[in-house]
Amino acid sequence: MSLSTANLMETVKKQYSFKLKANIDAISSLVGIQLVAILFSLGGIGGSLSSSEGLQINFNYYSADVVLVFTMFWALVTAITITTKPYRNHDFTFVTNRLSSSLSNILFLLTGSLLGAVTANLSRYLLQLIAFLFRDQQVYSGPFDFPVFILGIVMSALYIFCVCSIGYLIGALVQVNKSFVLLVPVLIIGSIFLGESILVQLFQFYVMEPNFVFFLIKILITTALFFLASISILNRMEVRR
Amino acid sequence: MSVIECRELSKAYLRKKVLNQISFTIEENKITGVIGRNGVGKTTLLKIMAGFTKETSGEIRVLEQRPFNNLYTSVNSIFVDDQMSFPPALQLQELLEAAQTFYPNWDMDFAQRLFKYFNFDPKHYHNTLSKGRTSTFNAIVGIAARCPITIFDEPTTGMDEAVRKDFYRALLKDYIDHPRTILISSHHLEEMEDLLEDVLLLKNGKVHLHIPISDLKEWAIGLQGQASSVLPWTEGKEVLYQNQIGLNATYVVIKNDLSEAELAQARLNGVKITPVHASDLCIYLTSDTKGGIDDVFINR
Amino acid sequence: MNGNFESNQKVYSQYQLAEMFTINPATAAKGLNILADEGILYKKRGLGMFVAEDAKENIANKRKSGTLKQLVQELVLESERLQITEQELMDMIKAALYKEGRK
Repeated sequence: MSLSTANLMETVKKQYSFKLKANIDAISSLVGIQLVAILFSLGGIGGSLSSSEGLQINFNYYSADVVLVFTMFWALVTAITITTKPYRNHDFTFVTNRLSSSLSNILFLLTGSLLGAVTANLSRYLLQLIAFLFRDQQVYSGPFDFPVFILGIVMSALYIFCVCSIGYLIGALVQVNKSFVLLVPVLIIGSIFLGESILVQLFQFYVMEPNFVFFLIKILITTALFFLASISILNRMEVRR
Repeated sequence: MSVIECRELSKAYLRKKVLNQISFTIEENKITGVIGRNGVGKTTLLKIMAGFTKETSGEIRVLEQRPFNNLYTSVNSIFVDDQMSFPPALQLQELLEAAQTFYPNWDMDFAQRLFKYFNFDPKHYHNTLSKGRTSTFNAIVGIAARCPITIFDEPTTGMDEAVRKDFYRALLKDYIDHPRTILISSHHLEEMEDLLEDVLLLKNGKVHLHIPISDLKEWAIGLQGQASSVLPWTEGKEVLYQNQIGLNATYVVIKNDLSEAELAQARLNGVKITPVHASDLCIYLTSDTKGGIDDVFINR
Repeated sequence: MNGNFESNQKVYSQYQLAEMFTINPATAAKGLNILADEGILYKKRGLGMFVAEDAKENIANKRKSGTLKQLVQELVLESERLQITEQELMDMIKAALYKEGRK
């Protein structure tokens, strides 16, 4: 029987398209979770102004922030899920090594992040449309600026993808040792209570960065580091069924 | 050409040694049966070959490369057992198509014929199949992938007898048309012994025997008769199995190294000489006691 | 022996045999080689195995010297166990011969 050679990139490509089909449930759960988020957002952030002449203005501020937060949550859960044993074993039924398995997972998560970012950003317009149609309100939208719209999608995708990398690392750690199931939440909650300043610093470091290029560099490096750590952890894992 | 080479290969889980410095080589395009009792390390050995599990010490070469985490090993080998895991979102037909994209030698026409013959519904899902049907589907994937190294770990789990026979025959016919290196572990040596060329017998984490099955069939003989006439022949020989039949008749299995003349002499003494079935012999060889389960009931 | 194959006729290849009986082709090849060693088959390079000219006599001889001899030996052994005299044994063999009306 003639021997075949396998090329890493070819294999990753095959695994990626296989995962898109195999993990279709993850995509549909993204749609579901975003719909729920839209429902939550329908109330909008409200307020009212009244003048001395008896004129009262009620306003609602509709944003996709809740949808984005929900999408990030989805990203975290999905990233953790695909590091679990059943998902890793799907790869080992066919042709794989640990690197190609992780790379195709990352590609899948990137796809999910982009998709989630696009739909989350579009959901703002959906919200406004619903408000206009059903709530009899006058909608004032900021002027539609295409570059800003795209920038918004890219930024949200990067945030979501970064959350994916965190989830992937958590998942990888848990696969190595089950005690991380407890340890990780303890660390996170502990850091919220004890080191409030750490969170604030993190927030300032990433979110408050005014320069887009710096933001891009910061978040990409962070994401890459998390993924690299995960790959090197998962690279040593054995397949046990 | 040898395609699999092990040198003092060991594997330990935590502190328990499963494989203990085993060495052997497997030649290209042979069908080898991996035989041994439960928990002797068959699965562990096969998984190391497939690159799933990492060896603790020693060396293993599959197609002249170390299999662990090796893409080259992965594309040229397939590991089939009843735990093979497939995504629950895909239908059986889609799984076959996925397999086709990954395995370069995959024969879709052949896979479809087997699929039809065994009455699979292309729209069913893998996780809804029964135990025997799961094994059958996995076996189809294993045969149709036509990997130069094909590993079956207990492939017939749950299959009924008719399917088991069909499976062995399908494997053999496809092997004749497309020779490849095949390893099968099974508890049912008697039903697959005709299929095998070699036998790799594991005992206590070691390779106990690695010989052609035809040699295994002649490896030992059974002597049956009056204890007084049988026992002299076993002097100075390793008794593999001994069983008392009735009052003073006895059945003894020893290594077949008697000469023709000695055999004739034994027959004249009233000793009945019988060949020992390969599967029985394997049980005798791998058991720790000489009398088997009967020893439990002695001297109570 | 039954005339399934004529002298100088080609016999099944190891692969045909393997498929027929669901056995490993290597095992089938070993079987063919044993027959070749015994002079029942002969090899033609690149063409396969053929039935030898004197295959039938060869087999007959072998059965006489091997199988039949062993059967007789066991017959004698059994008659000893049953303490049958030589005359009785001969009578039984003769009876079996004539009863089947062969002679």
